[in-house]
Amino acid sequence: MELLDRYIQAVRFWLPKAQRDDIAAELSEDIRSQIEERESALARPLNEAEVSEILKQHGRPLLVANRFQPQQHLIGPVLFPIYWFVLKIVAAFYLLPWVLVWIGINLSRAAHSDKSLLDVLASFWTVFWPMAFVMVGAITAVFAVLERVQGKSKFMDQWDPRKLPPVRDPNRIPISASLLEVTFNLVFCIWLVAGMWYQTSLHFSAVSITLAPVWAYFFWGFFSLTAANIIASGVNLFRPYWTKTRALGRLVSDCIGSALFCWLLQANIFVSISVQDLAAEKTARFAGAINWWSEKMFPFAIGACLIILLFDVYRIIRVSRASRSAALLNAVHAATL
Amino acid sequence: MLAVLAELRNEQYGYTLRKGLAEQGMEIDEGTLYPLLRRLESQGLLVSEWREEDKRNKRFYRISREGKVVLKQLLSEWQSIGHSLESVLKES
Repeated sequence: MELLDRYIQAVRFWLPKAQRDDIAAELSEDIRSQIEERESALARPLNEAEVSEILKQHGRPLLVANRFQPQQHLIGPVLFPIYWFVLKIVAAFYLLPWVLVWIGINLSRAAHSDKSLLDVLASFWTVFWPMAFVMVGAITAVFAVLERVQGKSKFMDQWDPRKLPPVRDPNRIPISASLLEVTFNLVFCIWLVAGMWYQTSLHFSAVSITLAPVWAYFFWGFFSLTAANIIASGVNLFRPYWTKTRALGRLVSDCIGSALFCWLLQANIFVSISVQDLAAEKTARFAGAINWWSEKMFPFAIGACLIILLFDVYRIIRVSRASRSAALLNAVHAATL
Repeated sequence: MLAVLAELRNEQYGYTLRKGLAEQGMEIDEGTLYPLLRRLESQGLLVSEWREEDKRNKRFYRISREGKVVLKQLLSEWQSIGHSLESVLKES
């Protein structure tokens, strides 16, 4: 019975301390009875392989002992969905933007130094993982504490249906958003018309700016786009639901706006800047620096514009789906009436 | 749980209980049965004692007075569910 004793010893190690001897004795007795019954059926003692087979049927010692442990969890089923949701939010709105910005900055730095791509990746690894571990660890620790509090006070059981948020309709345009769009576009339009009406030489109190002749295209482009956006936002204000036409219109307008903005960054728009009491050499360098940085921002601007356009496309898909399911519902209603 | 409580109206030890249940078509592996016996005992529905039988120490279980009350309630719940299910199945 050496094999059985070894098995019981292995199970015993993982058993709860207070009941260790009791459970081990009972389990040993159960297996012994099983072995004896088998032996009397075969009219001979069991060999090691047969005893081993019986023990294997009982299961791995750790698993057998585990069934006698009280159920334990760090974050239980009540709080786990919230914990998972928070982790996803942190990953999407903190870790991912952090990674993108870090990579952008360090790649552009590496381009102007003798650092290789491998150096950048190595330093990313050393910076990112400690930060991610601390972030996830802190969230897990907070939820583990909440789990203990919830276990005692049952605060998750106290809720009021009247405090639930109102039904959200993603295709409804909030009035506040339309008002903000109208205001912003109006201010921009007034600034464009009053301050920069089709001219390439701008004069302020102590500063004179000369823009490249290509500005004329930008002026008319931005002016037309802003005017169209004012009309579209005005319509949204009074008919606050996205329709397929309006969602498509927003996509077209954002495409034009993105193209204009990205082109502007590449256009070396500042020809000269002159500031009173400042040497021409300095202001020329300043204008050059603005143009240089504008050009450097180009890839980031493309990225930002792509995100906006992807959101616009998603909106079109969402509106199309909603109108399809509304049509289906109408058809079902018509058929049942 | 219902089957275990009902079987333990007669005193038995773990192995014979498991065998008895298996013979009646209700196989419960020991990894489930022994923790269940301990839980029922800690809830006061079973009582147990170590006793020698055939020159070996064995733990004998039997239903407690409280366990008998719970068994009665569980049986009536079980029968009521059975009746409800029967009428649902008849209707469909």
